[in-house]
Amino acid sequence: MNHNWLKTNTFHHSEFKDIKKLVEAKTRKQLKISLCLPTLNEEKTIAKEIIIMKSELMTRYPLIDEIVVVDSGSTDHTLDIAKSYGADVYEAKNILPHLENFTGKGENLWKALHITRGDIIIYLDADIKNIHHRFAYALLGPLLMFDHIKYTKAFYDRPIATDRKKIRSTGGGRVTELIIRPLFSLFFPDLTQIIQPLSGEYAGYRSLLENISFPIGYGVETSMILDIYEKWGLDIIAQVDLDRRVHRNQDTKALGRMAFVILKTFFNRIEGLGKINLNTELFHEMIQYKLTGGEYEPDIYKITGDERPPIISIPEYCKKLNRQP
Amino acid sequence: MKHILKQLPDFVDQIKEIQEIIISNIVLIGQTPAPTYHEEARTEIFLERLSDAQTDYCATDDYNIPISIIKGTSDGTRPPIFVVAHLDTLWHADTDHNYTVKKNSISGPGILDNSLSVGVLASLPIIFKHLDLKFESDIVIAGVPQSIGKGNLQGIRHLLDTWDGPIRGGVIVEGETLGRLNYYSEGIIRGEITCNVTATGEWEHRYKPNAIIILNKVIDEILAMELPQRPRARVIIGKITGGFKHGVIAYDARLGFEIQSDSEDMARRMHSEIKDIVDGIRHENHVSLELDIISNLTPATLRYKHPLVKSTVSIMKALSLQPASDSGESELSIFLARKIPAVTLGITEGKNVHLENASMKIKPMFTGIAQIIGVIMAIDSGVCDES
Repeated sequence: MNHNWLKTNTFHHSEFKDIKKLVEAKTRKQLKISLCLPTLNEEKTIAKEIIIMKSELMTRYPLIDEIVVVDSGSTDHTLDIAKSYGADVYEAKNILPHLENFTGKGENLWKALHITRGDIIIYLDADIKNIHHRFAYALLGPLLMFDHIKYTKAFYDRPIATDRKKIRSTGGGRVTELIIRPLFSLFFPDLTQIIQPLSGEYAGYRSLLENISFPIGYGVETSMILDIYEKWGLDIIAQVDLDRRVHRNQDTKALGRMAFVILKTFFNRIEGLGKINLNTELFHEMIQYKLTGGEYEPDIYKITGDERPPIISIPEYCKKLNRQP
Repeated sequence: MKHILKQLPDFVDQIKEIQEIIISNIVLIGQTPAPTYHEEARTEIFLERLSDAQTDYCATDDYNIPISIIKGTSDGTRPPIFVVAHLDTLWHADTDHNYTVKKNSISGPGILDNSLSVGVLASLPIIFKHLDLKFESDIVIAGVPQSIGKGNLQGIRHLLDTWDGPIRGGVIVEGETLGRLNYYSEGIIRGEITCNVTATGEWEHRYKPNAIIILNKVIDEILAMELPQRPRARVIIGKITGGFKHGVIAYDARLGFEIQSDSEDMARRMHSEIKDIVDGIRHENHVSLELDIISNLTPATLRYKHPLVKSTVSIMKALSLQPASDSGESELSIFLARKIPAVTLGITEGKNVHLENASMKIKPMFTGIAQIIGVIMAIDSGVCDES
């Protein structure tokens, strides 16, 4: 195992706080940068993310060229609020509408590749309560300052907003510690050096992202790391410490469903790589139980685990962005 | 003044053009906790925002007051204009300070008192640039710590006491309410009465006096005080804490009150009377009962016909605002007591000002900012020089 990566490819956001330098590097390299916020009912946090990114990294410093919101069908005021603060807002179902329609975070990220223009795309979850522009510029830092780095991933403390008054200073990352880290330890020990492989904040060059497939749901973070690692190796990946991220808490059952999707994605990947032979097809239903009127009833979630192919294989994409498949 | 009044309505729209910068400053500053006496983190981010805006001077003074100066065109021949807002809020650092921004509102603890104002102050250099405004006077932008409660306005006192040279005028910025115009301040004596009953053995304490009931006697006697119609005077019973649990006699209790009067003599007489009440009840009940004065402000006023007040009223009317005047405590008293003409203005409308879910409206804020800029321009044009 290459332990050195943790030392050489781990950064702290403060190393990139001179945003002017980042803008100079971006200009020198003649790059365009897009920020994508995937949303589903994020009316409480979306405005703040757009305003701070626009103010700090578009108006004050021309680091980002566009902010794009791709939505999975919000029923609250997310879209209205995002539009009112000047983001380019898209509903995922209206992007490449002739393709079969899927709903999920991965779907939004994949479709964002079609509607953004940037050479680098930053993906930020839209539920960050303590959003700060470091979430974007720190992820861009290694990509702009080091030629060999093509993909960056965030890590941080993960306090959880437990109620309206207090913030718990520990916890979070449960799926990482209980599912991902054991699996990485078993099959890809090098990848255990990635502190938070499931963090929802990452950035990468389009040339990478257009060449990997995207699971439509929660598995997208896991598959992205595995695919980039398999295709290009660990050295092109960097991780950046963003200090602190406050997000809304998810209950254990929701985390269970997340774990189901991640496990499915993981098994598909390692079987594809020939690391295991399952000899059976995985089921598509996550079965949980709830107590209703003194009796247990199954709560079944159908999760098919669909994936989008590398977008470079979609002719409309190649034509629109003038890319060679 | 006419040319200033004419520009103001257009300013509102022009300020709105850079709303992201203003809202970002409000949010980034407001999400940094600043309980009284612990304003360091907010001081740092406030200065960082001003320094990013490339003002001519940006530093803290020896009392850790963050000050930024935009140099005027008169090269120091005109005294500076001060624009200040208090940095501290009522909220402890443990409170979740993450704000929620919606289409026309920002909500979170301390937003109206006084994070909004501090964010607006941090945005002023960029707003001036955007409006292409230059001033004869230096504009001194200061966030003052240790203002509320026991802070007792120590920050602003220090700032004005140590400032070398005359000051042309002052604008004190508060979050709410748009239309507020404070140009006089009452005399205030803020005090705390503490009652302690020694806790001893279980049997004995059942017959001991109850600290809450002792304070109740104090309140009854304060309420029975005869107060004149003129000069105006009143006592506000503002805070009470005490006791341990339902079935146990309270060993301690604390009462916070404020004497307000437009006469310094009357405020002093009322203080003396409350002191007599406390001494009497202590003597009669054999308890520890102490009166501490935590703040003392003398009344001070600008007259309504003062050019600064008259100009401010015109500015507000030009922006279709109806001025509402009341006495203003806060930093205003300290300016006026030092014979520096000053007014306190509010920026926007909101609700739940001192609750955790305080909320401000975004749209009226642009008018509130235009009004502040109008008053700075008026002072720069000499309205305070005439007095």
